[in-house]
Amino acid sequence: MSQLQARFFTENKKYAIDDVPFSIPAASEVADLSNVINKLLEARIADHKHVEFDFLVRGQFLRSSLASHMDTENISTEEVVEIEYVQKFTAPQPEECIMHDDWISSVEADSEWILTGSYDKTARIWSLEGKAVMTMAGHTDVVKDVAWVKRDGLSSLLLTASLDQTVLLWEWNSEQNKVKARHCCRGHAGSVDTIVVDPSRTKLCFISLAELKCLKTVFSLSVPTEEEDEVEEPNRPRKKQKTEQLGLTRTPLMTLSGHNEAVSAVLWTDAEELCSASWDHTIRLWDVETGEQKSMLTGSKVFNCISYSPLCRRLASGSTDRHVRLWDPRSKDGSLVLLSLTSHTGWVTAVRWSPSNQHQLVSGSFDNIVKLWDIRSCKAPLYDLAAHEDRVLCADWTDSGLILSGGADNKLYTYRYSAYVSDAGA
Amino acid sequence: KPLLSISIEIMDVELGYSLQPVSLIALLPHAHFLLHSLSPSSCLAMCSQDIRNTVGNIPMEWYKDYPHIGYDLDGKKIFKPIRTKDELDEFLDKMENPDYWRTVHNKMTGTDLRLSDEQVDLVHRLQQGKFGDVNFNEYEPAIDFFSSEVMIHPVTNRPEDKRSFIPSLIEKEKVGKLVHAIKMGWIKPRRPKETAPKYYDLWAQEDLNTVLGRHKMHIPAPKMRLPGHEESYNPPPEYLLTEEEKLAWEQQDPEDRRVSFLPQKYSCLRAVPAFSRFIHERFERCLDLYLCPRQRKMRVNVNPEDLIPKLPKPKDLQPFPTTQSLVYRGHTSLVRSISVSPSGQWLVSGSDDCTVRFWEVSTARCLKTVEVSGAVKSVAWSPNPAVCLVAISYGETIVLLNPGLGDKFICSATDQLISSYEEPEESKEQSVQWTIAEGSDHEHGQRLILKHPKAVRQVTWHGKGDYLACVMPDDNSSLQVVIHQVSKRRTQNPFRKSKGMVQCVSFHPIRPYFFVATQRYVRVYNLIKQELTKKLMANCKWISSMAVHPGGDNVICGSYDCRLAWFDLDLSTKPYKMLRHHKKALRGVAYHKHYPLFASGSDDGSVIVCHGMVYNDLLQNPLIVPVKVLKGHTITHDLGVLDVAFHPSQPWVFSSGADGTVRLFT
Repeated sequence: MSQLQARFFTENKKYAIDDVPFSIPAASEVADLSNVINKLLEARIADHKHVEFDFLVRGQFLRSSLASHMDTENISTEEVVEIEYVQKFTAPQPEECIMHDDWISSVEADSEWILTGSYDKTARIWSLEGKAVMTMAGHTDVVKDVAWVKRDGLSSLLLTASLDQTVLLWEWNSEQNKVKARHCCRGHAGSVDTIVVDPSRTKLCFISLAELKCLKTVFSLSVPTEEEDEVEEPNRPRKKQKTEQLGLTRTPLMTLSGHNEAVSAVLWTDAEELCSASWDHTIRLWDVETGEQKSMLTGSKVFNCISYSPLCRRLASGSTDRHVRLWDPRSKDGSLVLLSLTSHTGWVTAVRWSPSNQHQLVSGSFDNIVKLWDIRSCKAPLYDLAAHEDRVLCADWTDSGLILSGGADNKLYTYRYSAYVSDAGA
Repeated sequence: KPLLSISIEIMDVELGYSLQPVSLIALLPHAHFLLHSLSPSSCLAMCSQDIRNTVGNIPMEWYKDYPHIGYDLDGKKIFKPIRTKDELDEFLDKMENPDYWRTVHNKMTGTDLRLSDEQVDLVHRLQQGKFGDVNFNEYEPAIDFFSSEVMIHPVTNRPEDKRSFIPSLIEKEKVGKLVHAIKMGWIKPRRPKETAPKYYDLWAQEDLNTVLGRHKMHIPAPKMRLPGHEESYNPPPEYLLTEEEKLAWEQQDPEDRRVSFLPQKYSCLRAVPAFSRFIHERFERCLDLYLCPRQRKMRVNVNPEDLIPKLPKPKDLQPFPTTQSLVYRGHTSLVRSISVSPSGQWLVSGSDDCTVRFWEVSTARCLKTVEVSGAVKSVAWSPNPAVCLVAISYGETIVLLNPGLGDKFICSATDQLISSYEEPEESKEQSVQWTIAEGSDHEHGQRLILKHPKAVRQVTWHGKGDYLACVMPDDNSSLQVVIHQVSKRRTQNPFRKSKGMVQCVSFHPIRPYFFVATQRYVRVYNLIKQELTKKLMANCKWISSMAVHPGGDNVICGSYDCRLAWFDLDLSTKPYKMLRHHKKALRGVAYHKHYPLFASGSDDGSVIVCHGMVYNDLLQNPLIVPVKVLKGHTITHDLGVLDVAFHPSQPWVFSSGADGTVRLFT
């Protein structure tokens, strides 16, 4: 049997071993290599517990035997192979299944609460354990998106966007468990589909799928006190809204127009830059200060959703042709796809980068499956989370180690994943 | 004498002298020279006076009728001598005159001349080819001046030319020219002659395949059957026929007989008589040879691939819908009709379960269900983006419904528009009742209800969204198609006469034309001039559906006999192309608004998407390529797909089926 010269290294100091080349059988697979490392660590550290490792050869996960991997990747077997090893990402464990009355259109969670928007015209707040805490009913139509604005202490601000063309700003006091609609934002001539809050938590942006002129509107959130008057903008002299009992009406600060068709997703890449994806097959980057388009990425299919990771500075897009594509937003007017992740069989409706790991993202699709990807192994996803019985409509991560996904089967699933730190137990 | 001899010599050498005067003597070929040369000296001597004629070399018969014969040197006429001799005298003269043979007639003077002995002798010598001069010795010894011997004195004392000892300039020039020509390649050296003997292949031109083919094609002449035992003069007894067999043989037709003769037995060869059917048999053999086929007819080998027209690959014609993406479930019975809102966000479907459902396209969410009191036959979303109206037909009713989807302002503006209508003073009696929906119907979104006298099968909007055409199929009624104007709540019946059962109608997207499809024909009417512009012959038995290209110059018709006909209105009234891709009856056809796509849905449960490119260039015919068969619908009660519709902006196609679902293919 042929042997290979391999040198192992890791970035985790805890599992570091001597930097010497080893001769290992070419046919060895991940489990064999993992055993080798464990043996070496046992020899080094007295109280070493067995740890499963994953191996990267030139930035690609090893998924078959070493020889066949190197054959497909065209790596010479004559030289010493540099193999990086990381602790294996364990499969996310299903934790809760939160039942809703209707389809779940959106989910956003932070370290304590889960906020979901549903097609039953309400938004709900749940505890991480799956206990219903609050129901916000104020919209006259389907709630399409929800977002946390800020949480300081017991009161928190949150936003809900709806098909009834309004965005409501709610103030929720978690101690008294009271909710109050503070503001009603209008300005769209169609259902509001996506809502995002900028990193500094002072502005929000929402977009509408139905908008024929494809407007995107930025609203100010600065000091939302009740005394403040309506923000009147000269560039948008729409009909004055009668202030409803829900709260004060606000009108947009700015309208960004340029897309030829419905805008399906929007996000803040940083405090001054907005990124929007549209059904006209483009992703555009906007400067919010000037309201001008900065650059454009052109795809070939309708975009359903985008996500941006500040860690690796990549955009991930989900489109109607079942691929998840990665883009570099800094490339100038190029339409260069860095990577496409193909495993879904239906429209990709949700993509979300991991908040803590620069290589991982989840994608949800109309084929009822949520997939967890590591972009270092682009051929196949790390794990398929096949819990849903109907189309997946939304997905989210939290810093605290939860993956959430909601779908047309009225269920919100949460999965607990363990990051590299093995506190959850291997 | 020497003078004479010289003159003879000259004459011998140069025949050119024959132009010189007179040919007096017929007897002697050269005599006239002789005479002529003689004449100045000896004729003078012979005759007392010089009577030389000066007329020159002219035919003397010109002077036939004159008394003179010419003119002498002094210009005086020379008179013809008096000649009294007639033929007899001439003859007598010939007989009696001993010198007659040496007498010659001089034409120039008309006198007779008697040659002397010397002259006669000279003539003889000339006749023999000798020199005239008797004394001339032609064999005198020759003196060789330029001999091989070199004398001390040269023949000529001329000094040698310079050119005889320097190289010739002309030659040099010539050689130089040749050398230059060779250098420049103008002159090529002569090709060495091929010494090998030249043969050629007599059959080289012949193609080996044809030779083989000819051999293969060869049909040998049919062979004669070898005689068997029954032909023997003494056949074994089993070959001899019994009485019944003989009887049967005789009763058979000659063609049916197994053997053409009766086997007979003779005791010995000598007893065998002459064969009576010999001529007969020979003739039949000749017929066999003559009628035998000598050539094998080969079928032409055609590669079936070559017969398929060259079409671009579907891969190159993207985008077009390829996979089923969404299923809109909710209806409990077959979905007859679907329509997409102009913004592309909503979808309306009408079903036989007496409901109309409104769907969100991107999530397949049913947002609204409206119940009506009959199976919904047709739904159509108003193409005007400024109003939000859906026309629904069920039973004898058309309902204009405001679904309240999309922009709230547009919805309320639509409601305002409808409620702001004022009844005109003089109201005409109309065949259709317009009523405003009230009560619970109004809450469900119904705004206007149009009651028709007959069941309505199809509704369709004009591109501006104000006019609405509906079809009430009936075989013999003139009221089959009515056009409503929503803003004025008016109803018109455009046709006075029935031209057959109307299947479906459609407005031209740009021009004021109106397409009416009956069972076999599509008629195109000009609504302004109110006349028939065109009549398209569909070549099919029963048209089921029709769609007009957004450019307006092309029409597709689906028919119940599995065909789809594409008409190019500029080209002909016959179909430009007939597509027979479906296995069962077509139920719905649709064009895409922007992409060069059209789709057809059929009872076989499939939707076929075709690329149908229409060029602005009038010379280029539309390019039609079938690109995708989309399957998904289950066949229920022998019905598959009932309607197809394209998304207004994306290359997506919706289909509604008898299985109660609407499906989106992207």
